[in-house]
Amino acid sequence: MIAVSSLRPTTTRGAIGLAVGVAILAALAVVPFVLPSYRTALFVLTFMYITLASSWNIISGYTGYVSFGHAAFFGLGAYSAALLMIRLSVHWILACIAGGLLAAVVAVPLGFILLRLRGPYFAISMLGLSAALQIVASSWTPMTRGGSGLSLPPTLNLVESYFAMALSMLVVLFVSYLIITSRYGLRLIAIREDEGAAESMGINTTAHKVSAFVISAFFPGLVGGVYAWYLAYIDPTSVFRPILSIDMIIMSMFGGAGTVFGPVIGGVVLTAIAEAFWARLPELHQAVFGVLVIIIVLFMPGGVMNLLRTRGLLPRNWRI
Amino acid sequence: MSRRISSLGTTAALLLVLIVTACARPATPATGSQPAPVTQAGPIRIGASISLTGQYARTGRELLNGYQFWMEQANAKGGVLNRQVQFVTYDDESDPETAAKLYEKLISEDKVDVIIGPYSTAVTLAASTVTEKHRYPMIVSGASGTDIWARGYKYVFGTYTMAPFYMDGAIDIAKKNGYRTVALINENGAFSKDVVAAAEKKAKEAGLDVIYTEEYTKDVRDLTPTLTKIRAANADVLIAGTYGDDATLIVRQLKDLNWTPKLVALTIGPALPDFTEALGTDAEYVFGATQWEPNIKAPGVSEFATAYNAKFGHMPGYHAAGGYGSAQLLQQGLEKVGSVDNQKLRDALASMNTTTAFGAFKVDDTGSQTAKPSYLIQILGGERKLVWPDAAAESAASIPMPGWNQRS
Amino acid sequence: MEISTLVQLLIGGLLLGAVYALAAAGLNLIFGVMRVVNFAHGDLMMLGAYVAFWLYTLAGLNPLVSLLATVPLLFLLGWGLQRWLVDRVVGQPPLMSLILLWGVSLVIINAALFLWTSNSRSVPAFSGGIELGGLSISRSRGIAFVAAIAITGAVWLFLQRSRWGKAIRATAQSSEMALVCGIDVARVRHITFGLAAAMAGAAGNLIVFIFAVSPVVGPTFMLKSFAIIVIGGLGSFQGALVGALVVGVIESFSAYVLNSQVSEAIVYFALILFLLARPNGLLGARL
Repeated sequence: MIAVSSLRPTTTRGAIGLAVGVAILAALAVVPFVLPSYRTALFVLTFMYITLASSWNIISGYTGYVSFGHAAFFGLGAYSAALLMIRLSVHWILACIAGGLLAAVVAVPLGFILLRLRGPYFAISMLGLSAALQIVASSWTPMTRGGSGLSLPPTLNLVESYFAMALSMLVVLFVSYLIITSRYGLRLIAIREDEGAAESMGINTTAHKVSAFVISAFFPGLVGGVYAWYLAYIDPTSVFRPILSIDMIIMSMFGGAGTVFGPVIGGVVLTAIAEAFWARLPELHQAVFGVLVIIIVLFMPGGVMNLLRTRGLLPRNWRI
Repeated sequence: MSRRISSLGTTAALLLVLIVTACARPATPATGSQPAPVTQAGPIRIGASISLTGQYARTGRELLNGYQFWMEQANAKGGVLNRQVQFVTYDDESDPETAAKLYEKLISEDKVDVIIGPYSTAVTLAASTVTEKHRYPMIVSGASGTDIWARGYKYVFGTYTMAPFYMDGAIDIAKKNGYRTVALINENGAFSKDVVAAAEKKAKEAGLDVIYTEEYTKDVRDLTPTLTKIRAANADVLIAGTYGDDATLIVRQLKDLNWTPKLVALTIGPALPDFTEALGTDAEYVFGATQWEPNIKAPGVSEFATAYNAKFGHMPGYHAAGGYGSAQLLQQGLEKVGSVDNQKLRDALASMNTTTAFGAFKVDDTGSQTAKPSYLIQILGGERKLVWPDAAAESAASIPMPGWNQRS
Repeated sequence: MEISTLVQLLIGGLLLGAVYALAAAGLNLIFGVMRVVNFAHGDLMMLGAYVAFWLYTLAGLNPLVSLLATVPLLFLLGWGLQRWLVDRVVGQPPLMSLILLWGVSLVIINAALFLWTSNSRSVPAFSGGIELGGLSISRSRGIAFVAAIAITGAVWLFLQRSRWGKAIRATAQSSEMALVCGIDVARVRHITFGLAAAMAGAAGNLIVFIFAVSPVVGPTFMLKSFAIIVIGGLGSFQGALVGALVVGVIESFSAYVLNSQVSEAIVYFALILFLLARPNGLLGARL
């Protein structure tokens, strides 16, 4: 489908872009060894949010099926990975990947069922799903220890967590880029723009929607596992909480849903704002997000990326 | 050419915002820290995260009051080790993940000298993982869930009577009065489950019949079906592992059903002033587990209670006392060691056998509290009266609970 | 399970259902007229509850009397939301209005948390139970039931008989035709949202003396209202009533037969089930 060699830059501009990208990657690679642990922890969480926002973007930004409860997959992955690590002493890397795979597997039947609903109904039913899964996690005590949560052996390895999250983020961004520059991505966008027309053109909308949904479920599951390992304690409230779903949506929308870098911009800027705010005015942090959503919907529905494009700061033919 | 560079530059700059944020000035602590007069080596800085917003805000505030009250008193007497003390606190929003982040910040960025515990079992579980990693001993001032000490950690020290002992009094009274059947329900958090699991075991050992158990989620709105089932089973005793709202809900809905068992014992709710405020006379005769009451006959208690009342205008509840007593314990530990050394502090706390205004303190080798007894209060005449154990009681328990129609 | 317990639970569920119906009917109105899903509906209920709470706490006002304040206040708020915010996304895909109202919901919830803290509030009026032939009926639910039915009935009459009511129904059937017939469709939208907000506020006002309410309960109530109108039939006024009674009873029963935790999840699953299997709901209105 995609020849990796086609990614090699052919223009000066492309080469500069690549060099900048490599420089940034190098900088990020030394962060955990250079900055104090608190700051590094901040990066870890930012990477996690970017990964989550980017995954959401795949089903919601590209395909147009806005999900209001994507935290469901994060929680699923967190619990699966945690249980594997605790009950079967699986190595954390394998457990996290398994968490992601489990979320992806669950997304298959869920996708077939829920993606038959359009627009607001899909959004709300995902919200309901997330709420229902939280209840399941709280009540299925023999498996999940209910509201007590699960405590993992505290390895607290910040460096490993950092690289795990960074890698997850880079992979999902790469996958995002592959999708948007491929015919598969074009078909997803066709579904978003007019599903009826897409179907009549012969696109197998169900297969495309469900596969996008599954991809968008894998990464939250993956980072859910890393989160559980890093924090060494999870409970139903912390991994299924609505604010996670909210954050994913706002970050993507703010940065620009349907673009590759939108979630990155949104993740970085909004984590910085949240960081500045929660120490001073914790309740207002979410209120600010609410106002931001209103502003975005009314004035900049395409997010920052679109704003940059319309102002000519970003070339319009760049598929990022 | 310039357009190309500017667009590239924009993209790169956006990504570098991350690095810039990292190098930015950290936010200053939001609450609790007061400027202290600098003595020789500067003030001793104690770090903690407190639940000032979120589901534990009510009790988190009490804990902070306890800390701050202790700080004022200690500083007025010359401080600890001849240095003033200062709290560095943040709001953890009742969220374990935030608390973990905050303790990481307190230790590695704010570089506090020592730390002390947050509120609630869930938050303490996450926070203590961080402090264990950095080897800072944590006096657990606001939690009693057994999970905290079941992980093999060496740097956590409990001050509360452990959750499994909370309902000893209720079971004792039930047994003495010849009651036979017990219904046990609980909110499904770590702490409440602990309370009820142990209560179930002890009830059975005391020869009582456990005829009903159920768990509910913390934001439950309607317990009528559950209480209807308990009424149908004719339970003599209802023991519930509750927080604040569900405690109030249970009493209110029992009234709606026009039924009471002979004994109702709840956790946390009845010990808070909101309980009697919200329920008025309906709160009468309800038993509550408590860690501490201002009327306990033990050293230091009445001095603390009176002084607190003078400052705040109401008697302290056990959450404030827990904060105060834990801070006193920290002081005793530091003074025993003679310096601000976390390792030596840890060893001192592990072996100390002492009392504070909160009660007796002695831990076993996991750090669990073993010396402090549990107490039971009953709402009588609109006030919390200590009714168990008999040695510390100020009133006799009023039993059985009269039906709703039989109250004056 | 004895019959009397069964009946008792049934009655409890039905009584509560009427209050839910009031809120759900409001949500339905907005959907019917504007094809907008009011994500902030539960938060409007919450605001209504707080109005009643503060009037009771500060002025000792009977929560039924406070309806006189709640209804106009929430009407104005709803009218304003439509006029200045939602109007701007009319004609765009319904998803945009959903997200917009979700943003509004976040603002309302957090403003409430900031102003009133996260403590749960309730109005301890009408407590206790009434004995009726061996069953005990919760007094607060009984009173709320009567009030809710009265208000819902009044709204129904308004929609059936009055000029504006007919204009609303006409716009719900077809906004283009309504426009052609000379109906001020924009005004209709403002009034509709205001009316729905007033209904939500009234429902909240009634709920606060049955349950405790805190700033974060909005989304749960919104999900419940949404489940009700889907089950009852989107766009159908009577459907909201039927759906509400069904949901009220399902909740009570599943809490009894299984446990209270599961009963909350069941409503969500019922919602998804209906969306998939019978999207027209029980009373089969258009989707």
